[in-house]
Amino acid sequence: MKKTFKIVKSLVLYILLTFSSIIMCFPLFWMISSSLKTVQETNSPGITWVPAHPTLQAYIDIFHNTNFLRAYGNSVFYVTLALFGTLISIAAVAYAFSRVSWPGRNLVFFLMLSTMMIPAQALIVPQYVFFNKIHWVGTFNPLIIPGYFAGGAAMIFLLRQSMAQIPKELDESAIVDGATHFQIWWEIILPLLKAPLATIATFLFVGLWNSLLTPLMYLQTIDMYTLPVYISTLFNINQTVQPWPTIMTAAVLTTIPLIIVFFFAQRFILESVVVSGLKG
Amino acid sequence: MLNNPYIKVLFTAIGTIIFILIGSYLIAQLASFIAKLFGVKARKRENIFAGYFFASPWIIGFLIFVVVPLGFSLYWSFTDYRVTSGQPAQWVGFQNYTTLLTNDDNFKASLYNTLYLTVFGLPLEIAFALFLAVLLNQKLKGEKIFRMAFYLPVVLGFNTAVLLCWRLMLNTGTGIINQILRALSSFGPFNYLMRACIYIQEIVSGFFLGLNNGNFNLLDKILAAGFPAPNRVPLWVQSPLWSKMSVVMLIIWGCGTMMLIFLAGLNNIPKELHEAAEVDGATSWQRFWKISFPLISPYIFYNLVVGMIASLQIFEPIYVLYRDNQPLVSSAISMVYYLWQKSFSHFEIGYGSAISWLVLIIILVVTLIQFWLQNKWVNYDVY
Repeated sequence: MKKTFKIVKSLVLYILLTFSSIIMCFPLFWMISSSLKTVQETNSPGITWVPAHPTLQAYIDIFHNTNFLRAYGNSVFYVTLALFGTLISIAAVAYAFSRVSWPGRNLVFFLMLSTMMIPAQALIVPQYVFFNKIHWVGTFNPLIIPGYFAGGAAMIFLLRQSMAQIPKELDESAIVDGATHFQIWWEIILPLLKAPLATIATFLFVGLWNSLLTPLMYLQTIDMYTLPVYISTLFNINQTVQPWPTIMTAAVLTTIPLIIVFFFAQRFILESVVVSGLKG
Repeated sequence: MLNNPYIKVLFTAIGTIIFILIGSYLIAQLASFIAKLFGVKARKRENIFAGYFFASPWIIGFLIFVVVPLGFSLYWSFTDYRVTSGQPAQWVGFQNYTTLLTNDDNFKASLYNTLYLTVFGLPLEIAFALFLAVLLNQKLKGEKIFRMAFYLPVVLGFNTAVLLCWRLMLNTGTGIINQILRALSSFGPFNYLMRACIYIQEIVSGFFLGLNNGNFNLLDKILAAGFPAPNRVPLWVQSPLWSKMSVVMLIIWGCGTMMLIFLAGLNNIPKELHEAAEVDGATSWQRFWKISFPLISPYIFYNLVVGMIASLQIFEPIYVLYRDNQPLVSSAISMVYYLWQKSFSHFEIGYGSAISWLVLIIILVVTLIQFWLQNKWVNYDVY
């Protein structure tokens, strides 16, 4: 009796889990399915789960669409450049907060944590005016350069926590051997922190790749648009017929890097979110 | 070649790195020099130099990108500064703030919309996240795969591409969600359930729109029309009554982070408590409400605070779903969307600064109130 109950219970649980997973992943499935349909199919009533005659026309068209390809290139370019500087500066600052003792450290650390309370939106207006003054509006600079100053207090905090767990003896013996702080940081500490660095790089990548508000503010010509900004121009409420297959093809191609990164980094992410309670 | 935007930004990036290195070096030298004046030993001075050198990128950035902008925006919020007019800013005192709080329909609408998201959307999100976490916590085989599936939406998040996919699915006439609902409603009980949900949602939404408009004609109409007809479906992105519910759907879908936090909370509950209760004959249902629920209240609290802050800052869904859609924008407008509109479509920097300071203040107040309220219901006993 008890055994039957247990089997029924896990059966019900599996059904619920599967059902929820299908719901959560459904938009992804629908995106792919719609990208293979014709415009008529996407705009007609009636359910077409998988198109009877899948067409790759939208994919062929989009690879001839220079604006889209350019937007893709822009996104890859700006994300790479921003990611690189942000990651290194965050690693440097986290080192100062965890492995070196200096007067004022606690105060600066407290200040850094308190910036997490300030919503980014409170800063965008004055930053815009500032970038306008130095003629950076209409360039990629405002999307990239602020990150080089260790942008992202939450990420610094996350990395500092992992760095602080490395035993102190490691640096002490290195100092005795005559190593500089730069060598300790670059050659001893960072190689030990591959997993946390991968997590942070993933979070930064996702944030930069998805970012809409800043590119929208600073990029003014279509040849500089990043993917999210470009894709948002494809959908226009004033069009009588929306080119859904095209939009969904662009969407599929946009989400592919996210999904690849997620699959490689998911075991690090899922752990560190729990540890730090970060908003991904 | 220097006109190529890519080369230009590469040069700027290199320049920035040099600037940061020189700036950090100077700050570190200064710190080390001051330490010398105080007679600190050479060994320690080395640490002081290294500490300031490594921390300086953040210190410089904090000054340039946080302190100075905040100061300027505070000043501008008391002026009528416009970035395009070329005229110097005029001091107007508290006028921007009084206009915002007493005489600005859009800002009022954004406040009520946020309130709707908080009192209607957030509980649904938390409940769904908790439900998923409890399911995962049963420790069945394949838990990891399900966990990944539940977290995936967070990564896809508010990317325009994914939001547009939702826009397609939420189409009232041809969207897949309504098609499925139509197909399911031939089944009697489901039909009643759906109509009940539609009724409740429209009453709540009509109430909030009424609060905003100052008259409850729409709510009266909904109530007069009575229980929705059998062929009714949700109107999602087409009606002011449903525009916010569509955003709530998106928020619920992205509940993965909350779910992971609940999962951590459930994992922290000592096994013995559940075992003891089981011996005493408590059902799973009772054990959840009497043991798990009180013990995860700190996690619920955390999610509540973070969720409220997130709903105060929402921007992308409103922009992608409702931009240029005049009749709907005001029914879904958020504070940040309005801030963006004022500052970057109308270039009213002074007014925009006042909005951003109000958002900042509201976030601080909400967080403080929540921390004050938590003593009344959050249970920290076991930790």
